[in-house]
Amino acid sequence: MTPLLKIWSAYVRLTARWPSIASIVPFIPLFAAWWIVTALEIFPRVFLPGPGEVWQSFVSLTWKGILPEYLQDSIVRLAVGAAWGIALGIPLGIVIGMSSRAHAALWPLLLFFQAIGDIAWLPILVIWFGYGLVTMTAVIVYTVIFPVVLNTVLGVRSIPVNMHRAALSLGASRARVLWEVVLPGALPNIVTGLRNGLGYGWRALIAAEIIVGTSGIGFLMFDARRAGSVVEILLGMIILGILWYIVDSWILAPIERATGQRWGLVTR
Amino acid sequence: MKSLTIRNLSKTYFDLYAGTHVTAVQDVSLEVGAGEFVSIVGPSGCGKSTILNMIAGFIPLTGGEILVGGKPVNGPGRDRGVVFQSFALFPWRTVLENVAFGPKMRGIGKAERDRIAHEYLALAKLTEAAERYPNELSGGMQQRVGVMRALANEPDVLLMDEPFASVDAQTRMTLQEELTRIWQAKRPTVIFITHDVAEAVFLADRVVALSKGRVLEEIAVDLPRPRSWDALHEDARFKSLTSQVLQLVRSA
Repeated sequence: MTPLLKIWSAYVRLTARWPSIASIVPFIPLFAAWWIVTALEIFPRVFLPGPGEVWQSFVSLTWKGILPEYLQDSIVRLAVGAAWGIALGIPLGIVIGMSSRAHAALWPLLLFFQAIGDIAWLPILVIWFGYGLVTMTAVIVYTVIFPVVLNTVLGVRSIPVNMHRAALSLGASRARVLWEVVLPGALPNIVTGLRNGLGYGWRALIAAEIIVGTSGIGFLMFDARRAGSVVEILLGMIILGILWYIVDSWILAPIERATGQRWGLVTR
Repeated sequence: MKSLTIRNLSKTYFDLYAGTHVTAVQDVSLEVGAGEFVSIVGPSGCGKSTILNMIAGFIPLTGGEILVGGKPVNGPGRDRGVVFQSFALFPWRTVLENVAFGPKMRGIGKAERDRIAHEYLALAKLTEAAERYPNELSGGMQQRVGVMRALANEPDVLLMDEPFASVDAQTRMTLQEELTRIWQAKRPTVIFITHDVAEAVFLADRVVALSKGRVLEEIAVDLPRPRSWDALHEDARFKSLTSQVLQLVRSA
């Protein structure tokens, strides 16, 4: 038992020094299983290529410049769509959260349109806007906006009434209360909404690229299917996972740590 | 600081579930002099917090009038500082920023408002905690910040709504002693709401006993200041005042 404990404690100390190791380690068994299964050729190579082939494909697609270009296209689409979704979603959420009239008027509409999945809009969007950035941006905005609005409303409504009262009796105007109390008070929920929204948006983007795309990671995968290249399909899937992991742990998680967790509004 | 006048104040709610009108406050009149400390004491549901919320301008009144320095109250405003039972500190602001909030709303520059905030923090022995966030402080320290945040804005009247009800008994006694000390230093006009009879007597110049939305009686507290629990705990005059108020509140 003691050697095992020693190894474990060494691991704990190692990950305390380099936290990124802790996020890589869980993938080792998965990777090993993949490698063993493909090395033993349990399934035909054409159906399930190994890590080596996927790596080669990564290198060659990067060398040709296809992968960097597609990756950039996908990220720009997500960024444009997410920016619009945030710019529309947060103000809308604040209005609905603060005003019971706006809530009564807009909430049923919100629930109705939320039920129509993002992809369900593609047929009509293609007729309206064709196969381009507008269609894809519309789908992403549509996907991002609901989690952002719903979570912002929740955040605004969960601010204790005494927080508003304290600000008002300290001399804050209604506009200052919005900036000093409502926005920071709702921020932890807004970040949760962004996290969900971007996650859904990322998936919707890939789906949209598969259906209407002429470039992007989704298109890469769909194009590979036409050519029968399982290697490139796997490569696309792995890139999707890694990219989301980066967005979440390098952008969203630090925001969460610096706001809600720091203020004690969210438990660690 | 200014005087506070309450004339024939009343508040009736329409209870949607019961389908009837409920009278929370009935014909309350009260005169509080500038720089006076008045406690309003009574059991839960006697209407004391409703009175405070009306003075603060948080809820509309249905009858009578409230005047601060002769001017009628209309909505919340910086002339009436409020200390809440739930502290209501801004969790996203440091202790210093919380205390500097009122001056900031008045448009006072950063250097000057920080100087003001530091002065008040020093008064409550909170200098060490200036850069910390409220969730990193104990309940007692949080409420010290709450009191200083209200005072740093130099209100005409300080309204305190059971401010020490959610801290432990030992801390509460310390906070009460500190409040009397700070009150003597700054002499704000104070309305202090509590259900704790000993607390009401300990702090105030005058205790207003309230029951079922009506004023039962006003009792002048002629105890010398500065006040401390060590001195008053066994004090005969303190005991007789406390039991007098207690009997009033309980008999109603």
